[in-house]
Amino acid sequence: MPVTKVLTAGIGEADLRDISVYRARGGYKQWERAVRDLKPADVMEACDKSGLRGRGGAGFPTGRKWSFLPNNGKPRYMVCNCDEAEPGTFKDHMLLEETPHLVLEGILLGAYGIGCTHAYIYIRGEFKRGYQIFQKAIDDARAAGLLGKNILGTGLDIEVTAHRGAGAYICGEETGLLNSLEGKRGEPRLKPPFPAIAGLYGMPTVVNNVETLAYLVPILEKGADWFASVGTERSKGYKIVSVSGHVQKPGNYEVPIGTTVREIIEIAGGLRPGRTFAAVQPGGQSSACIFEEHLDYPYDYESMAKAGSMLGSGAFTVFDDTTDWVKAALNSVRFYAHESCGQCTPCREGGHWLERVLHRFVEGRGLRSDLEMIRRVSGTITGLNLCALGDSIEPFLKSVVNRFPEQFEARVMQELTPA
Amino acid sequence: MAEAATEMVKLTIDGVPVEVPKGTLLVEAAKKIKQEIPVYCYHTKLGPAGLCRVCLVEVEGMPKLQIGCNTPVADGMVVHTRNEKVESGRSMILELLLVNHPLDCPICDKGGECDLQDYAMAYGRGASDVADPKQSKPKGVDLGPTIVLDEERCVVCQRCVRFDDIIAGERQLVVKDRGHNDIIATSTGDPYRHNFTGNVTELCPVGALTSKTYRFKSRPWDLNRTETSCTQCAVGCRQFADVRYGTLVRTMSVENDDAISDGWLCDRGRYNIGYLGAPERLTQPLYKQNGQFVQIGWDDAFALWAKAINDARAAGKAVGALGGGRLFNEEAYLLGYVMRALGVKNLDWRTGRQLQASPGANASYEALENASSIVIAGDIAELAPVLWLRIIKAVTRKGARLVRVGACGAAPGFAHTDVTNAGEAAQAVAAEGGVAIVWDGADLALGAALAATFASRSPLAYIASEQSNARGAEAMGLLPTDGGADFTKIAADAANGAYGVLALFGANPLRNAPNAETMRGALQATPFTVVSELFMTESAQAATLVLPAKSAFEKSGTVIDIAGDLLPVNASLQAPVGALSDLEMLIGLAQQFDLALPTSEELDAAVIARAAKPLAAALGEARYATSEPLAPSSSRSIWDGGGTCAHDDRIATLRREPVKVGA
Ligand SMILES: Cc1cc2nc3c(=O)[nH]c(=O)nc-3n(C[C@H](O)[C@H](O)[C@H](O)COP(=O)(O)O)c2cc1C
Ligand code: SF4
Ligand code: SF4
Ligand code: SF4
Ligand code: FES
Repeated sequence: MPVTKVLTAGIGEADLRDISVYRARGGYKQWERAVRDLKPADVMEACDKSGLRGRGGAGFPTGRKWSFLPNNGKPRYMVCNCDEAEPGTFKDHMLLEETPHLVLEGILLGAYGIGCTHAYIYIRGEFKRGYQIFQKAIDDARAAGLLGKNILGTGLDIEVTAHRGAGAYICGEETGLLNSLEGKRGEPRLKPPFPAIAGLYGMPTVVNNVETLAYLVPILEKGADWFASVGTERSKGYKIVSVSGHVQKPGNYEVPIGTTVREIIEIAGGLRPGRTFAAVQPGGQSSACIFEEHLDYPYDYESMAKAGSMLGSGAFTVFDDTTDWVKAALNSVRFYAHESCGQCTPCREGGHWLERVLHRFVEGRGLRSDLEMIRRVSGTITGLNLCALGDSIEPFLKSVVNRFPEQFEARVMQELTPA
Repeated sequence: MAEAATEMVKLTIDGVPVEVPKGTLLVEAAKKIKQEIPVYCYHTKLGPAGLCRVCLVEVEGMPKLQIGCNTPVADGMVVHTRNEKVESGRSMILELLLVNHPLDCPICDKGGECDLQDYAMAYGRGASDVADPKQSKPKGVDLGPTIVLDEERCVVCQRCVRFDDIIAGERQLVVKDRGHNDIIATSTGDPYRHNFTGNVTELCPVGALTSKTYRFKSRPWDLNRTETSCTQCAVGCRQFADVRYGTLVRTMSVENDDAISDGWLCDRGRYNIGYLGAPERLTQPLYKQNGQFVQIGWDDAFALWAKAINDARAAGKAVGALGGGRLFNEEAYLLGYVMRALGVKNLDWRTGRQLQASPGANASYEALENASSIVIAGDIAELAPVLWLRIIKAVTRKGARLVRVGACGAAPGFAHTDVTNAGEAAQAVAAEGGVAIVWDGADLALGAALAATFASRSPLAYIASEQSNARGAEAMGLLPTDGGADFTKIAADAANGAYGVLALFGANPLRNAPNAETMRGALQATPFTVVSELFMTESAQAATLVLPAKSAFEKSGTVIDIAGDLLPVNASLQAPVGALSDLEMLIGLAQQFDLALPTSEELDAAVIARAAKPLAAALGEARYATSEPLAPSSSRSIWDGGGTCAHDDRIATLRREPVKVGA
């Protein structure tokens, strides 16, 4: 089985929250090396050459993202996104709680790489325990001279602030996050300008996911080539996959990118006895379902796109033949209708409309015309929104309406015939 | 201004070549070829927000539809605003906007001038697949003294929220809750109240925000619209006066009025119109006999007035005229002309605290925006409300430094430095760049000190007048220039019985003059006093002859604004029968003496010639001094003034805070 523990190494075996345990296992070595021997450009180059892509959802090449920062002398910010609120995604807060120093080391490396002297981590408000653990990690690292002023006596200053969110799913969208971090209403900003040009407090900013930044540590340790040698052509390295749904052993599994969909299901214990496979939602609630014909696709960014879905944040939800697809669709659409910030028309109105219609279907009061409407509206609203949340309402719904139309048709009300 | 030539960009919109400056947004570029890209959230003055998504266009080479409001032009860009792809996206947006929209157009004030109606008709699908009940939300929400909110009609374009933040600097309005439950509210839950609230009713593309004064009053197609200038203060904002069957039902801003109002109106300019139809308007001349007013005809009024002047002359008593800061230029000019023809030199437009109205050199409002430092002295925010919006713009969006000298009213909610004198102001301004001085014309010593201190920086100078056409009155010569007495001396001498006739035009000194007590004595001791007024004011009550005047909406003429621009005021309303304009009154008086009057062409020419010449004076110049020193005061409200506000019950609720009359 190709489970390979890189970030997850040691979790469950040692108390990595203890800074001395973490250091005894080689922790903060890369940070010490970076501060003493590497230039920021070296870190940036390693990041770029490794082929690391963002693990927050969009899969954007991290090195490229960093390279957009303008050289205009303005202060730069590194913001680590630990909002993790997408249903099915549960890897970031595991890292935060189980191996906080790895996350912190990754943030420090990222901050150093882009030339930032004050980094932030935005932690979802509900992760109170994770916040407390991480805050202690910051305190311990500060006491060890690893962050703050004059790091390890080199004269380098980097501050890290942990900020607890107070918001909603939308505060995970990077510009919604920046607004929330600034104390404003958590709603996405109009782009352009992109955060690289005008982000936190209007300054050039990089927002990276927890897992993305954490991978900087092994990349520096083992080299960019090591990371780039794993995976498929344009999807490199490893990925923590949060497997949930109708499997026997749901959980976080770290695998080389390119492991097949079928293998991932098996790693998670396979289906329960007597059940047959129906679909996988491979990239979080915002992704479309893929089906039997995709079981042998490698789990990488390109193949998931080819299958009509995406790898997203790596939330991998398995559905078997007992699934009520109408209820599942309502559940998904309701989430987006509830989490829409309401700024833009398609997301605000479209999500709520579809939710009400699906609600009727669940109660067996669907109309035949609704089915056409669902296809027409859900097909049109994607791409018209201000942020990606609005574009996430439809993929799951459309994929299951198309695949399992009989389940929806069965909930259409009997036509009343005039007496 | 010497700026590098703007780089031009060539593109095609719907097959038509367009050339616009680099950085232009597609919505603006399309206007060049008169092609409409519909918008809700975008507004020229507020910029893009990207919320409504109705402005979709196709840009060749881009897979997704783009929003025209936030896409800048690029060389060689090929844009479509009318093809099938655009139409399908756009009609989807309109369909979505109507999912929860109540469609209560028949009882909505916006009906007939609503962007949702218009775009739904022009670009919508014309059919609906909605089978579920619409979401119900609060209707008829009392948002504050001026505005009622209908939450169901809101399309969440956030224009109101952005106006409140970007333009008014208030940040009272916010979006509360989220998703389809979001509602517009004040962040604190307090009533929405400041000097510019009415603008959001115009910005609102739908009928979600409506003015209490206009609710259920009219349909736009029943309105007779006149473009005119607001005369409620000296800023002179361009405005539309909308009259329905003889009643002025609302005034509206003129969006492209970049030079004067920048597209806004203050709440006084917008809402103080109730007095026009007040039943207590004067409509017949009133003559006081044995302490009682009796109604007389105009012929008798003129005859009595003329006789009083002749009697005074025969008895060797003085004749004087005060006021004029609220007259139109033509009237002010004729007042000076007639009085001088009758040998009267005791003329002064000044009856309040303000002693000077013309700064000597003209500077435009737009220039003020670009000053690096703005020095204010006096309660400019309340004296010149819409000009204050420019100051907010200069400070919050263009980085200007604001320095307030002496008492300047309530502290603004943005960066500023308070100092006590001109010397400190010089320390506080930016070392580089242009300086602008905005002074209230009251404390002459302070004005002179500011002029002297900043002389080396060649400042732009503005005087924010208390009365709407003080500059015009000054330019037209209503000053004691050839040896006459100024207003403090007129009052003092008249109180001592030296005057036979005293006339007041558009002035109510007993209400708000700093020498109100002396004025009261003057009106009592003078045997014949004439007051031209709309209402039975304190001063009118003390007069012998009260002449019912037309309001500024009922006559045409010109005024001069703070920047020195000559602005037209066009009659939009019929005056009540029996009222005359001050011009007509002066003609009536002149006829009693067989005076030869200028023809209307000569009058216009004289006004234009005098308006074109800024009075050669520096701030605080000595010749504007008065014989009696007056205590300058600077705390006031936009609702102060001649007293028209007192004749509209609602106005009391609009005031931001209780205003001490005459304080
Ligand atoms: C509605 C929405 C929610 C999101 N939530 C998260 C989140 O919780 N964590 C995260 O890392 N990225 C989230 N993202 C993606 C971020 O916008 C952003 O792309 C990411 O943080 C960038 O980091 P990366 O390049 O390292 O992936 C979300 C995006 C959207 C549209
Ligand atoms: S797509 Fe939805 S969440 Fe994103 S900005 Fe628009 S309304 Fe808000
Ligand atoms: S109230 Fe009007 S202006 Fe304000 S957000 Fe709603 S539609 Fe826009
Ligand atoms: S600022 Fe003055 S001119 Fe402009 S609307 Fe207000 S009262 Fe009228
Ligand atoms: S006008 Fe462009 S998104 Fe609203």
